[in-house]
Amino acid sequence: MSFWQLYRRNKSAVFGLIILCLVFIMAMFAGIVFEDDPFTLAGKPMSAPGTNGFLLGSDTLGRDVAAGIAYGARTSLLIAGLATAVAVFVGAVLGGLAGYYGGWVDDILMRVTEMFQTIPSFVFAILLVAIMKPSIQSIIIAIAVVSWPAVARLVRGEFISLRNREFIQACHTVGMSDIRIMVKEILPNCLSPIIVAGSLMVATAILIESGLSFLGLGDPNIISWGFQIGAGRTVLRSAWWVCTFPGVAILLTVLAINLVGEGLNDALNPRLRTRT
Amino acid sequence: MSMRKFFLFVGMALFMSCKMAFAQQAGGNLVYIVQPEPPSLAPYLSTSGPIGLVAPKIYQGLLDYDLELNIVPELAESYEISDDGLTVTFNLQKGVTWHDGEPFTSADVQFTIMDVLKQFHPRGPNSFKEVKEIQTPDEHTAIFKLERPAPYMMRAFAGYESPIVPKHLLEGKDIREAELGNNPVGTGPFKFVEWKKGQYIRLEKNENYWKEGLPYLDRVVARVIPDASTRTAAMENGEVMYGAFGAIPNVDVVRMREMDDIGTTTDGYSMINPMALLEFDTTEPPFDNPAVRNAISLTLDRQFFIDNIWFGYGKKATSALSSNYEPTGLYKPSANYPEKPDVAAAIKLLDDAGISADADGVRVKATLDLIPYGEEWRRAGEYIKQAVAEIGIELDLRYEDVPTWIKRVYGDYDYAMNLNYFYQLPDPVIGVHRHYGTDQIRAGTPFVNSTRYSDAELDELLVQGATSADPEARVGIYHKIQDKLSTDQPVVNLFELEFITVFNSKLKNHDFSAMGSYSSFDKTWLEK
Repeated sequence: MSFWQLYRRNKSAVFGLIILCLVFIMAMFAGIVFEDDPFTLAGKPMSAPGTNGFLLGSDTLGRDVAAGIAYGARTSLLIAGLATAVAVFVGAVLGGLAGYYGGWVDDILMRVTEMFQTIPSFVFAILLVAIMKPSIQSIIIAIAVVSWPAVARLVRGEFISLRNREFIQACHTVGMSDIRIMVKEILPNCLSPIIVAGSLMVATAILIESGLSFLGLGDPNIISWGFQIGAGRTVLRSAWWVCTFPGVAILLTVLAINLVGEGLNDALNPRLRTRT
Repeated sequence: MSMRKFFLFVGMALFMSCKMAFAQQAGGNLVYIVQPEPPSLAPYLSTSGPIGLVAPKIYQGLLDYDLELNIVPELAESYEISDDGLTVTFNLQKGVTWHDGEPFTSADVQFTIMDVLKQFHPRGPNSFKEVKEIQTPDEHTAIFKLERPAPYMMRAFAGYESPIVPKHLLEGKDIREAELGNNPVGTGPFKFVEWKKGQYIRLEKNENYWKEGLPYLDRVVARVIPDASTRTAAMENGEVMYGAFGAIPNVDVVRMREMDDIGTTTDGYSMINPMALLEFDTTEPPFDNPAVRNAISLTLDRQFFIDNIWFGYGKKATSALSSNYEPTGLYKPSANYPEKPDVAAAIKLLDDAGISADADGVRVKATLDLIPYGEEWRRAGEYIKQAVAEIGIELDLRYEDVPTWIKRVYGDYDYAMNLNYFYQLPDPVIGVHRHYGTDQIRAGTPFVNSTRYSDAELDELLVQGATSADPEARVGIYHKIQDKLSTDQPVVNLFELEFITVFNSKLKNHDFSAMGSYSSFDKTWLEK
């Protein structure tokens, strides 16, 4: 069966993929649908949804909530994508080295990883952003720093289980270099769990970014869903729409990514290929 | 030498107290909010707001100020100023004792001003700069001898600003470390009993209080409640009865003021006079050019801050001085503070100054630092960014933690434009001069002249304003100062902040003084 056929069997995964595609489309076309910057004071403050030309209402300063959600999708996807890429790369390199070489290399790298894992990740992210000044770079770095240890441990486990297989020993016998064995032989064989972990990490990254922005540690020059919720929470009782719609956006996106992650897991995991 | 006497208010106070005597009820406990927890109870060392909420119930000043900023007697029953303005004589109340039973005398006044406030208080060295000596011919007379007239000094005698402290408990000790700092002993209506850190400070009625029949309350408890929504809930269910200085967020105030048993007031802040403003680094481009600063002043819609960010509380700035100075005559509405934003005039100003736009319509790029005191200030920054974009000024916003921000703006001057607010206090010499004088360019001291604006003509006017004893002459001087400042605009004033006090309607007469929540509460009472 082809990958798509495997994936398609999981109906909720298809649903997740559709939502995720819609979010991508929204992010891509934000600039065309909403010509003004999302911070523009577009009209009467605190307009209810559907009034004064605001589809989803306006916030306390008169900014369009719908425009904020569309542009916020860019921020969320950009930050989550980059942070995950960095985290997966760092985690794969360190976990791969530790798993392949074992011994003292493993000991040192895993003690370092554990050190990072003992600190609660969200608190650590807050600390990092507060030390560096809040900006899009510092948020990406903070999310990557708190996310890579999980990947490192996963990759290490896969490498340990693969490194003594016969085909790897055969590689040693024909004189392949360590780097080549790691990259060309072992890595492709443990790619599927990494992809699944990575896709779920994107969802966590969106949540961390939203949490940071909600607490006022976001980049003040860039709109994001968490920022919108943080800015609207004081008026929750009088203007529910300011918080609610960005909240729904986060909910749907994170849910969609989780469903896609599960679908990938089902499709890529040979042991689950017969699951119905 | 002729003397001017001020007995009128003694009479007025007596009259008022007779008239109201029927309604007042003695007894009851008042629980109110203090937030954050005070660092100490040493008002002679720190002007920190939370200390002001508690200490003035224990310590008193020589004078107090009513809601119209008139001087009323406190520990001094009357005072006289000589015609040349160089001698101020205070006649002290008789029969006043400290909480430990020792008598209060003129020696305490002399010691407090000369050895404590002039040395250790944040604003004391400025307020009492001209005091060279205090004579004590008898136990109930203190004569201040001044180098030069200091009319502003008469605004600095309230219990919060200049508390009179017991000489017998501080003399010969290390003032900063003295035990008195955490176990205050004053002359006020309430005695310090207990401080449970992180929870509350409890004060009991002073049975030997020198004002006959006062205070009405039996006990005053200042509770520490760090979470804003918990404070709101405590106020709604009557657990606490009084909260000042934004203890209850504005958005909740808007909802709570409709409730029957909750009242709100903006009285009691006229001595504080907070003003929101923009500071500019006037030594470097782009804000070294007054045209750019004036263009910003013309572009901003000051009412927008008040309506949309502060939920209707506040007043548009119309000059470098707060309109709260109006009763003294010093305030004058000035140019470059338009009633409505005038973008066309701002653009013309920039064009005339030769600051032209590039292909994207951008004339100036800069970073705006935001005071890190909460969400409202971020919203204000976001608004400013949008508003000035209309005249081609592109701003980046920067929001840091408090120590980094203070160091950046007031230590390293590593900023271009800064959103902040300043207390103008009861007299411009105390609250406003520090923002503009050349002698106030003091790197490392927060909340002074960070713009590094320096102008010989203005400096001369500031000296005249500080030393002129004649109120009429001061009016002229301060009008000139405001004209000068509205032309140069080293600081663009935005709006007068209004703090809101929220109280349970059973609580009566809580804000009888210009000091508001920083007053003694001695005439405050509870309806049963």
